[in-house]
Amino acid sequence: MIELRHVRKEYEDVTPLEDINITINKGDVISVIGPSGTGKSTLLRCINMLEEPTSGEIIVDGQVINDGKCDLNEVRKKMGMVFQSFNLFGHLTVIENIMEPQMTLLGRSKQEAYEKAMDLLYTVGLATKVYNYPSDLSGGQQQRIAIARTLAMDPEIILFDEPTSALDPSMIGEVQSVIRLLAKTGVTMMIVTHEMDFAKKIANRVIFMDEGGIYEDGTPKQIFENPQRDKTRKFIHRLSSIDFNINNEEFDTYGAISKINDYGDRLLIEPERMQNLTTCFEEICINNLLQMTEEPDIRVNIEYSEKKDLLNMNITYSGEHFELESSTNEAFLQVLNAPDTKYLDRVITDDSDEIRNRINMTFIWEEI
Amino acid sequence: MKNRIKITTFLLVLILLLTAVFGGTSVFAANSTYQKVADLNGKVIGVQTSTLYEEEIMDRCPDSKIMYFTMPPDMINALKGGKVDAYLIEEAGYYEHYKNHPELTVVPENGGDCRGTVAISGKDKQKEARLLFELNEFIAKHKEDGMLDEMYDYWIKGFDANTSVCKEVTYTGENGELRVGVEGAYEPFSFVSFGKDSGFDVDFVQRFCAEYGYIPKFDRVAFEQIAPGVETGTYDLGMNIILSDERDDAVTLTDVYYECGIFLVVLDDEYVSTTNFIESIKNNFHNTFIKEDRWKMFAQGAGLTTLITLASILFGTLFGFLLYIACRKGNKIANGFASVYNWLIDGMPTVVLLMILYYIVFGSTRVSATIVSIIGFTLIFTSSMFDMLSVGFNAVGKGQVEAACALGYSDSQSFFKILLPQAAHHFLPIAENEVVTLIKETSVAGYITVMELTKISDLVRSRTYQAFFALISTAIIYFLISGILTRLIRVLEKKIDPKRRSKDKILEGVVIEE
Repeated sequence: MIELRHVRKEYEDVTPLEDINITINKGDVISVIGPSGTGKSTLLRCINMLEEPTSGEIIVDGQVINDGKCDLNEVRKKMGMVFQSFNLFGHLTVIENIMEPQMTLLGRSKQEAYEKAMDLLYTVGLATKVYNYPSDLSGGQQQRIAIARTLAMDPEIILFDEPTSALDPSMIGEVQSVIRLLAKTGVTMMIVTHEMDFAKKIANRVIFMDEGGIYEDGTPKQIFENPQRDKTRKFIHRLSSIDFNINNEEFDTYGAISKINDYGDRLLIEPERMQNLTTCFEEICINNLLQMTEEPDIRVNIEYSEKKDLLNMNITYSGEHFELESSTNEAFLQVLNAPDTKYLDRVITDDSDEIRNRINMTFIWEEI
Repeated sequence: MKNRIKITTFLLVLILLLTAVFGGTSVFAANSTYQKVADLNGKVIGVQTSTLYEEEIMDRCPDSKIMYFTMPPDMINALKGGKVDAYLIEEAGYYEHYKNHPELTVVPENGGDCRGTVAISGKDKQKEARLLFELNEFIAKHKEDGMLDEMYDYWIKGFDANTSVCKEVTYTGENGELRVGVEGAYEPFSFVSFGKDSGFDVDFVQRFCAEYGYIPKFDRVAFEQIAPGVETGTYDLGMNIILSDERDDAVTLTDVYYECGIFLVVLDDEYVSTTNFIESIKNNFHNTFIKEDRWKMFAQGAGLTTLITLASILFGTLFGFLLYIACRKGNKIANGFASVYNWLIDGMPTVVLLMILYYIVFGSTRVSATIVSIIGFTLIFTSSMFDMLSVGFNAVGKGQVEAACALGYSDSQSFFKILLPQAAHHFLPIAENEVVTLIKETSVAGYITVMELTKISDLVRSRTYQAFFALISTAIIYFLISGILTRLIRVLEKKIDPKRRSKDKILEGVVIEE
C-alpha cells in the first residue's frame, strides 16, 4: 500500500533519515519506537509529505507522490494524521471541527457530515460536547475529537505522531483506549510513541529506529522479548549505562558521584540501593585503587536493567590486585556482605603481559 | 450612563475653554508703547515663515528672538497671549488685522519695505522665458496706466472683507492652464470668500490671464511651500514672493508688482474693550459658520477628509492583503520588498511622505492633490495593514495550518476557512486604532493643498481671526468621523466572531434526530 524507497531527509545541520526502506501493508498496525532524535516523527511527516524528503521515493498505491506531479491534497485525503498537539480548529465547535473537512474536502452534504460526526462523537465518547469549542476541552478530550475528525474522512491509513506525549498522565488512558478500539477495526495505522507498553500491546509490527534508518523491524514479540541487535536490546532493556575512565589522580570524585545519583534519579532506582552502590564505588575506586598506583587505569561501567530490575557495576583495572575483604571500612563491608549484593572478583590474564582485574557487583532490591 | 458622563465632561471643558478664550480678550498685560524699532531689541518678535521680514530689522534688533508662524492669525493670538512682544506684517495685512482686533497698534517707525514679486517655474525653460516676458510687460504697462495703483488702493488701503471682489474677467484660454500657488489664508492678498479664491494676488493673476490668454488654476498652499513648489514645477507661478538677495538666485522672479511698508505690530495698552462676553461669542459663531456660508466649507472639508480616509482604508486593505499573501510563503523577493517598504514608510513623517509624493514624484504631472494624498495614505495604510495581518496570522497556531494541510485542504482553502476567520479576530481590534490614527493623520494633507477639514479651519480662521469655534468644531468633527468608523469596525468584529453565533446557526439546515 505504501512503500518508501531510499528516503533521505536532510536539514541544514542534521540528517534524521539517511536511508529508509519500508513497505506498509494494508491492515498493519505499526508502532515506531526508538530514542529521541532518531527521526521517528520525521518519517511519519514524510509519508504524507508534510516534510519533503531530500531524495528517495514515496509510493502510495503504486503512484510516486513526491515527484512534484502528484496532487498531494488528494493523497492526503486518504491519510489521516493525529498530532501531538491536537491542532483542532479554534474557531469552530467540536461538531464543526468534524463536519467542516467532510463538507469542504469530500463534498458531503451538511446532513451527511453531521450524522457521521455524531456517530464518531459517540464512538470517542464525547457526544455531549457538540457545541463546545476546543479551548473548553481537556487535552485528552481534544485528542479524541482530533481522532474523530481524522476518522470522519474515512482514511486508508492513520498516522499518529506521539498522540499522548502532550497529555497529562491521567488522560493518556482515554486516548489510548480509543486508539486500541481503532486497531481492532482493521484500519491501517502507524504510531510514533514513547509508551513502550502501549506500543507493544497495540501493534502487530514494531519498527525500532536508530542510526538514521530502520534499525530493526519485527513483531512485538521479537522486538520486545528477543531483540536481535545491540541497540534495540539496550533500548528495550533501558540499558543505557554510564562509564568513567579514571586515569589520573585529579579525578573528579564528587562530579562522578553526582552523575551516578542523577542516573539513579532518572531511572527511579531506590535511593538506598544507590547509596550502596556509591559506597562501594567510593571505597573501591577512590579510597583504594586510586591510591595504589601512580598511573591509574580504572574503568567503571554502571548500568541498570529495568526489565530485570538489576543494578550492575563493573570495575576493570590493571596492576596489583585489590582484595575486597581487606577493606577496613565498616559501611562498605556491611554492604559487601549484605544478602542483596552479589559480587564476582576475578583476575583476567589475556595475551599481553598486563594483569587485569575485574570486579562485577550486582545490587538487588527486595521489597520488604 | 457612561456616555452621559462623557458628554457632561465634554460640556464642562467647553465652558471652561469659552471663558478662558473670550474672558481673556479684554484683559491685557500693560505694555508701554514702543516708539522705535530699536525699542524692541531683545524682545520676542513673531514673523510669518518665509516672508524674510526679520532680515529688515536685524540691524536694529540684533538681540531679538524670532518666532516663526505659518498664519497671521496665529501671530495675533501669540501677541495677545504674551508669547511674542510684537510681530512683523506688511502694511496691507495690518489694516485687516486692526479691523478685527482694535487692541492692536503699530510702532511709528517702519520695520522696512516689502516688495512683492511673482516666481516663475524654470522647469520648462521656454515657458519660463515667455511668462517672464509677459508678466514684466503686464506689470510695466499697468504701472504706467495706473491700474496697479488702483488695485493697491482698492485691495489694500480700502479693503473690506465683505464687499471687496475681484474684477470680473473672461478667459480666452488659447495658451492653456496656469497653476498658481497662493497662500489662500492671507487677507487681503489671497483668501477664500464664499468658497472661491479672492484677493489682490488672485485679482492680479486673473487679470493677467485674461489679457494673455491663460486659464488660472489656484492652489492654496502654506506660504513657505510656494517657492519650493515653483522650483519643482508643481506650480507655474508662485504669488507674493518677497524680494530678497537670497531668493533672487533660486527662482526666476518678475519685477515688483506692489510695494508697501512692513509694520511692527504691538498691543495698544490704552485700548479698552467694549464688547461683552455673550456678544463676542455670538459674533465669533456667526463669523465662523454663518457668514459667507462658511459651514458649507466645513461640510466639504469633512467630506473630503472622510473620502481620503475611506479610500485609503479600502486600497490599503487590498494592497496590504496582496502584499501579505505574496510574503506568506516566505518568498524572498516579496519579503525583502515588504521589509524595505515598511522600513521606508514607517520611518518617514507623513507630511514628508506627502510632500515627496506631491512635489517630487508627481511634481511635474497634473495629478490632483487629493489623489496624491489618497495615494500617500494608501501607502501608509498598506504598511499598517501588512503589519496587522502578520500579527493576526502569526497568532493562529502553525499546528492548525499543518492539520488542515494533512487533511487535504488546499492552500487557499486553509487560508480562507481556517486562518482568516481566526486571524481577523486578532487583527481587527488593532485595525480600530490604525483607522483612528489614519483619520487624524489626514489633517496634514493640507500641506499639499488638499482642502480637508484642518485646512478649511485654517482658512476660516485666517478670515475671522477667531480661533475658538473653528478649532473646536474641527475637533468635534474628527471625533464624529472616527467614532463612526470605529463603531463600524466593532460591528464587523462582532459579526464575524464565530464564538458569538447561536447554536441554531451552527447547525442550520440539519435535521437533528433525538
